[in-house]
Amino acid sequence: MKKRLLTYAKKLYGSKLATTSIVALIVAALIPSRAYSQLGLDPCCAIISAGLNTISGLLKNAVAAPLASIQQIQQQTATFEQKVIYPLAAINQAKSLAVQFQNEFVQMRQISQLNVQSATLPIPQGLEQKLLSRNLGAIPQISVAYSAVYGKVMPSTDAPPDVRDLVDATDAEAQAAMKMAVQIDALADLELQAAEQINQQLQTAAPGSAPILEAQAAAWLVRANAYTQSAMAELVRVRSIELANHGAQLKFSTAHTVTLHDKTNQILERSR
Amino acid sequence: MNRISHALICLRSHALRHIHLLGLLAALLLAMPGSARAAVADIISLLQTITSTLQNGIGTALTGIKTVNNDAMNLQQQVLWPLSAINQVRASGSAIKNHYQGLFAKAARIPLTSATLANPSQLEAALRSASSGNLNQVQGAYTRVYGQVPTATNAPIMDRNMMDMDDAAAAASLKSTVISDQNSGRILARADSLEAQAIASVPGSAPLLTAQAQAANLANQAYLAKMLAADLRLEATKLAHDNAIRKKSAASTGTLRQQLQQVLTHP
Repeated sequence: MKKRLLTYAKKLYGSKLATTSIVALIVAALIPSRAYSQLGLDPCCAIISAGLNTISGLLKNAVAAPLASIQQIQQQTATFEQKVIYPLAAINQAKSLAVQFQNEFVQMRQISQLNVQSATLPIPQGLEQKLLSRNLGAIPQISVAYSAVYGKVMPSTDAPPDVRDLVDATDAEAQAAMKMAVQIDALADLELQAAEQINQQLQTAAPGSAPILEAQAAAWLVRANAYTQSAMAELVRVRSIELANHGAQLKFSTAHTVTLHDKTNQILERSR
Repeated sequence: MNRISHALICLRSHALRHIHLLGLLAALLLAMPGSARAAVADIISLLQTITSTLQNGIGTALTGIKTVNNDAMNLQQQVLWPLSAINQVRASGSAIKNHYQGLFAKAARIPLTSATLANPSQLEAALRSASSGNLNQVQGAYTRVYGQVPTATNAPIMDRNMMDMDDAAAAASLKSTVISDQNSGRILARADSLEAQAIASVPGSAPLLTAQAQAANLANQAYLAKMLAADLRLEATKLAHDNAIRKKSAASTGTLRQQLQQVLTHP
């Protein structure tokens, strides 16, 4: 018990609390209460001073140090973004490529719209002009111009019904294909205009807005592919009708041969 | 959980560090007259609040922000855009470009012409010139090889119209191929530029190049559609031609039948 009391006394003697408290009490006892303001040792000042020192220490350790660390990290991040991810020189170079391409876009479009007409007679000229017009408004006029060049379905006195059907179906497909060609040409012009506009936007775009333009171009591309598919389908129809005509021609020949065979037999039987 | 226990340990160590300050404050409080003690207690309470706010409110939040920033930086530099991966892709792109560019150039240099006579050779040269400036030469060479529409005295009007239409469709399609070749060449050059630029690009500028490639792809698709339109015109003209022959044949048969009937009626 005695030992423990001694140990405790030693600890108390050695502790900062005891030392500070004793010093504070002595100072407080020695200073007359009326002399507080004269000596500038008002206890409030001492308390405030000690408190402010603590705050200052905390500001240094708990606030300034993490802030310095954060600043360093952000500086590193900014440097990385400016030098590796988004260097201005590389962005400007990519934009300047779009400027170069713009002239090419215009030149290519102008070349694709050069006049390739060559018909010499008035009636074919009328049809050719409509076929190469790239104008959707010209489509309804194609049937009349077509008939003027290739004629109409023969009258029923000149051909059997199956031949007339075949001729009519063939004319219909030929005209449809011609109309589709005008339509596809007109749509291709619109696609070229859209491509030019998107490229023009890219000249002033930013890395953040470029994906939006890319998505827009991709959507146009999907549309263009769909129209190309339509044109392919029309091409397949034209070729199918052509093949069907060849088959029908063979069928007609077979039927004629059978008729000829029967009639020859009849003549031969009569002559016997 | 770890962070909370860490914070508690910090708080404890801070409290122990400043225990002598508390002792001083307590001693001063004891030595002071009673009227001043209340004001000092208020100041101490205020200082304690400020200290606690700095330690727990601001200090903890700042430490959290620092951790988040650090994590974000690591994510950017080690996962999203590691410099080694960027350089590796550039090197790989450069190798691909060097390997295939030569093969493509070699393929493009192979001559495709084979005509042996003067007029067909001129037509062939004009057709394969890939220059829209040669469209007039195409027309002239075409006429020299395939001839002109016969005069009105030598062929019926329907035949002349059809021949003219056939020639016009064929010549227009041939001219379209010359235009198409020229534009293909330009688009190929653009593809080369884009590839070269892509190899030298950075993650931030790559979307701009991708968007340009998409715009060029759209233009290319439009030119492909134009070629398909030319093919459609050609096939349609061919179909119309064959059908017109059928009509003509039927008309001729009708005429023959009428003439035969006339002959049989009036022998």
